Parts: sequence; C-alpha cells; structure tokens
Amino acid sequence: MRMAEHFTAGQRVRVTQLDPPSHTRAPRYVRGQVGTVVALHGVHRLPDDVVAAVAEPRVEPVYAVRFAARELWGSGEHNVTVNLWESYLTAAAKEA
Amino acid sequence: MSGDHHDHTATAIAQRVRDLESALESRGLVSPPEIEAILDGLGSPAKGARVVARAWVDDGFRARLLADGNSAIAELGHSMARGPQPQLLVAVENTEAVHNVVVCTLCSCYPIALLGPSPTWYKSEAYRSRVVRDPRSVLREFGFEPESGVEIRVWDASAETRYLVLPRRPAGTERRSEAELAALVTRNGMIGTAAV
Amino acid sequence: MRINDVGGMEGFGPVGIEADEPPFHADWEAHVLALNVALLRRGVYTLDEFRDAIERMPPTAYLAASYYERWLSAIGTLLREKGVLDVDALVHADG
Repeated sequence: MRMAEHFTAGQRVRVTQLDPPSHTRAPRYVRGQVGTVVALHGVHRLPDDVVAAVAEPRVEPVYAVRFAARELWGSGEHNVTVNLWESYLTAAAKEA
Repeated sequence: MSGDHHDHTATAIAQRVRDLESALESRGLVSPPEIEAILDGLGSPAKGARVVARAWVDDGFRARLLADGNSAIAELGHSMARGPQPQLLVAVENTEAVHNVVVCTLCSCYPIALLGPSPTWYKSEAYRSRVVRDPRSVLREFGFEPESGVEIRVWDASAETRYLVLPRRPAGTERRSEAELAALVTRNGMIGTAAV
Repeated sequence: MRINDVGGMEGFGPVGIEADEPPFHADWEAHVLALNVALLRRGVYTLDEFRDAIERMPPTAYLAASYYERWLSAIGTLLREKGVLDVDALVHADG
C-alpha cells in the first residue's frame, strides 16, 4: 500500500510522466505538467488497478487540479481543471 | 423511433441489439420490465433546472449546493447514487468574473441524473478536443461568448465528479416564481455552452 | 496513449450542434444504454472495464463508430471476454 501524500488546496503538483498501455484517467495533455490543487474530490478506487484486476485496487484521494492554458498549450487565457488520482501526482517545487 | 428502413446499417444494428437483448434475457441477465424501468427513470434537464432555480431564490440553498452538492440536491429529492456508481456532484457558479464550462475529454462523463442523456455534441471528438484548448471558439459556435475579461474555467470530468454549472440569474427576473425561473434554465446553460 | 484521449488534439473541425436533439436517435440506442445499465448493476463488468473496452477499440473503428455503436462494441467485447456470450455467434430468430 502506498504512503499517502495528501496534497492540500493551493499546493503545486506535477502530473507524473506516465504513459501506460492500459486504462488510466490522466489525460495526456496534463502529463508532466504542473498545476495547483483546487480541492479534494473524495476518495475513490484507482481505475488503473480495477481494470488490471488487482486483488485490492488502491483507494485514493482524487484532486481537482487547475492548469493554466498558457502552460498547457503556450497560449490562452483560460484554465483547465482536471480530476486526478493521487497516484498520478507528485509535489512540485514552489514557483520562484 | 426506429431506424430509416432505407438505411441498411441502422436496420442491421437495430437487429443486432434486439438479438443481444434476447440472448441476455434468455440467460436471465436482463428482463423487459427492467429495460423499461431504466428508460423511464432517465432524468431530464428539468431536474437540474429546478436545482438552479432553487439556488437563485434561496441563498442558503445556494451555499449548501456549492458546499456539498450531493446533500443539497437530496433536499429536492434528487440523487447521484442511482446509477452504476455513486458520483460526487460539484456545482460551479458563474459570476461576473468567471464562466464555467464542462467536458469529459476521455469519454463522456456527464451528470445524467440531473440533465438526462447527454447531447451528441458533448460526446464528440470535436468538443472534447477543442473546448480545453480554445473554449472561446467553441462557445462562439453556440452563439455565446463571455466578455473578454471574464475568466473561463474549463472542468474536465476525468474521475467520479460530475459538474453542474450554476448559471447567473438573468436580470429583470426578480418577480418570477421559482417554476418560471426553472423554465429559463437550459441544459446548455448547465453545461456552460450558454449563458443560462 | 489511447485514441479516446483527445484533449487538445487538432483537426476535428466544428462541433456540429443539432438543434433540439432528442435523447436518442433510434430505439436501439436507448436499448443499448439500458442493457449497459442492467449489466453494470448485475456486476457482469464494472464501469472502469466498460470504459477500457471502448478505449481498446482499434483507433479507426473508434473514430468511425457513433457513440452508441462504441457502447455496443464494448458490451460485446466484455461479454465475450467474461465468457457470458459470444455476440458474433448470435443468429436472430428469423435467420
């Protein structure tokens, strides 16, 4: 079982650079990107584990993480908030 | 409403579905009354519209809706738990400064319990691919665009959360009843592709 | 990276909005939805497995299929993989 990191609102997080051949719910456009945690959206079974028929799928916090369009695409004034399981995230360094 | 008789593909697929349903029935995995009950139980945007109208007239409800959507909609007899998996309802409010729009880029996740089945455009590659990248151009296709200073927040429903946009109450509606207000709320308004 | 993961992808063109679109364009679509709900309720497969089955469609098939055609494909895949029934072997009553 994984050690919980428990990110908090306002914290900067990086989406891990994952690219599994199997089912996952981290959209490719945020992989490797840094965003800001907006809120915790409950605790849920990790779909990657469920589909892999893992005996005990990890049950993890899911965060709403906000990304600036400018950082995702190089342009745009909007932002995109994605729901991401804790396994998809690591803490990111604070901005300078 | 069955498929066009001149469309072989539609006729063939309709037959395949009937055959599948028969096969599942004979194995005791579905029953005709069950199918009927499921279809009769599908929601419609009227449910979401009632939630929005209540939030417009009742500040306490509005606050409760924004804090805990699942509990708030239960006050109106609605639930996000009647489907295959319980869902977290998060209401996101439009303001003078912020406009929200919802998508599921990975598939088609949608608050069907409050809005009924989703429209084809919501599930299209065109919408799913473009709204996260250039929401303004997508909203323009719907004949709607927030003013230039407004922050557009795109919400990608990639997990168990289902988002409901809480549109701004139109000006000049102070004397309308709650039912009249609900009639003003459109499904697109609750997805974010319309102002209300 | 799977074909369903289209956020930010170019080339899909205008959204294409049908005014006053009905919830279903044909009865079979409604029945596909209802069958899926019934099978999920019975635990024949999970929602995660269902999404995965859609994503595993060959990219060209995924893009060519309509929404409920994808659902039908995924249901068939899962029923076959779980040994419930082979949809391709079904022959309808008249034929």
